[in-house]
Amino acid sequence: MAILGTAFNAVGLIFLTHAVYSSSEHTAAFPHSPLPLDITIELIVSILVLSAGIVASSPQLKPIRWAKWGGKVAREGQRGEGRWTREGEEILSEGDGFAFLGLDNGIGGDGEGRRGFWDVRGKRKEYTAWVKKGGEN
Amino acid sequence: MAHANLLTPPSRIPPQTALQLSQKAPLVLSSAPTSSLPWPLSLLFSRETPETWAIHENLLLAALRTGDDAAARQILDRLTTRFGAGNERMIALKGLYDEALAKDDKELEKVFNDYEKVLKEDPTNVSVRKRRIAVLKSLGRTADAITALTVLVENSPTDAEAWAELSELYASSGAWGQAIFCLEEVLLVMPNAWSAHAQVATLHYLSSSTSVPALTLALRHFARAVELNDSYLRGYYGLKLVSQKLLPLLSESSGSKRNAEEDDVAPPKPQSVKKLEEIATAKLGEIVRQCSATKQGQSGYSQAEIEAARELLNRDGRTER
Repeated sequence: MAILGTAFNAVGLIFLTHAVYSSSEHTAAFPHSPLPLDITIELIVSILVLSAGIVASSPQLKPIRWAKWGGKVAREGQRGEGRWTREGEEILSEGDGFAFLGLDNGIGGDGEGRRGFWDVRGKRKEYTAWVKKGGEN
Repeated sequence: MAHANLLTPPSRIPPQTALQLSQKAPLVLSSAPTSSLPWPLSLLFSRETPETWAIHENLLLAALRTGDDAAARQILDRLTTRFGAGNERMIALKGLYDEALAKDDKELEKVFNDYEKVLKEDPTNVSVRKRRIAVLKSLGRTADAITALTVLVENSPTDAEAWAELSELYASSGAWGQAIFCLEEVLLVMPNAWSAHAQVATLHYLSSSTSVPALTLALRHFARAVELNDSYLRGYYGLKLVSQKLLPLLSESSGSKRNAEEDDVAPPKPQSVKKLEEIATAKLGEIVRQCSATKQGQSGYSQAEIEAARELLNRDGRTER
């Protein structure tokens, strides 16, 4: 789909440039005669091809309805889309936007909690205990 | 197991994931994100992106929890040279580093006093105020932490994170009414948060699992949660659990109609509760089946969640395999 979109965009741009150049040359040469039909057709066709290319190469649409969108996030989780940062971390798709409230891990659970109130000492103790136990799952 | 991604760390980090995260420190630290050239050139040749600093911050947290203090120090120095020691967030991160390195409660008290000093100069530094509360919690002074948090939410009543934290503190000390109130404040700020609705419902359910009004409210909030997210496993689980509890109570109290009308929460009709339960059962079954069909790590649900849902369905004796 991406290749098709790029091809459409390239072809459309070439035709559009050609049509614009032709009409500019035509008006320079014959300032008082109407634009020939082939230039008009080329202009319209190029714009249609270009629009099709832009639509084809656009990213996939997200669900408009909130519940569907939320459901998609919950079902699929965050997954990579094939892009990495310079540090080698994959850029993931959009996740649960309310995760920062830290409400999905129960009361006093073993989740990460809220970022601003992160319990560094507790987490450090948890890790030390895990290492002492032999560092297994 | 969760992916160890520094840019978007998973919501639950078990020790082995934390280890994987902090093992990325040498790689990240090996190349400087900022350019060492003089000023106008450094702008042209800088290779930093916004993600760079998010990764550094997450790496700092991972290094601190795994005891890799040398790496943590390096990252902190990098962040400080980039953003300056006076930056609000940097003061909080520096405090976090000191907290992690504090050996006993006495040293932690010292960090706490440093926070107090910072706040005396600039009481609007919310990050440090939150760290101060976290220290109080860590010292076991929950009552003080609650008092400090109530002051914080009074000053910034739209801080949903603070309200959620306050709610959890109240809930952990058994003050269900206050905990529910705080979460309702969260809902005022973000009415679309399905996890907040599910949490309110859970608190209603925990506050009294035998009274009809509390269960009714729990049912309503769970129903709202699944209305906002049509594959929310926790919401369907709660919906099923609450409706199972509610059904016998409703049929019992159907004789004493008058009593029910006195409450300000009208109990739902038994038929609609039954219907809700059926919907929840169907959806839970669908989710469990889909999850066993997909490969491990491909779905957004955790293994524990799926197990719990399967157990609930099995208890019902109506699983289709």
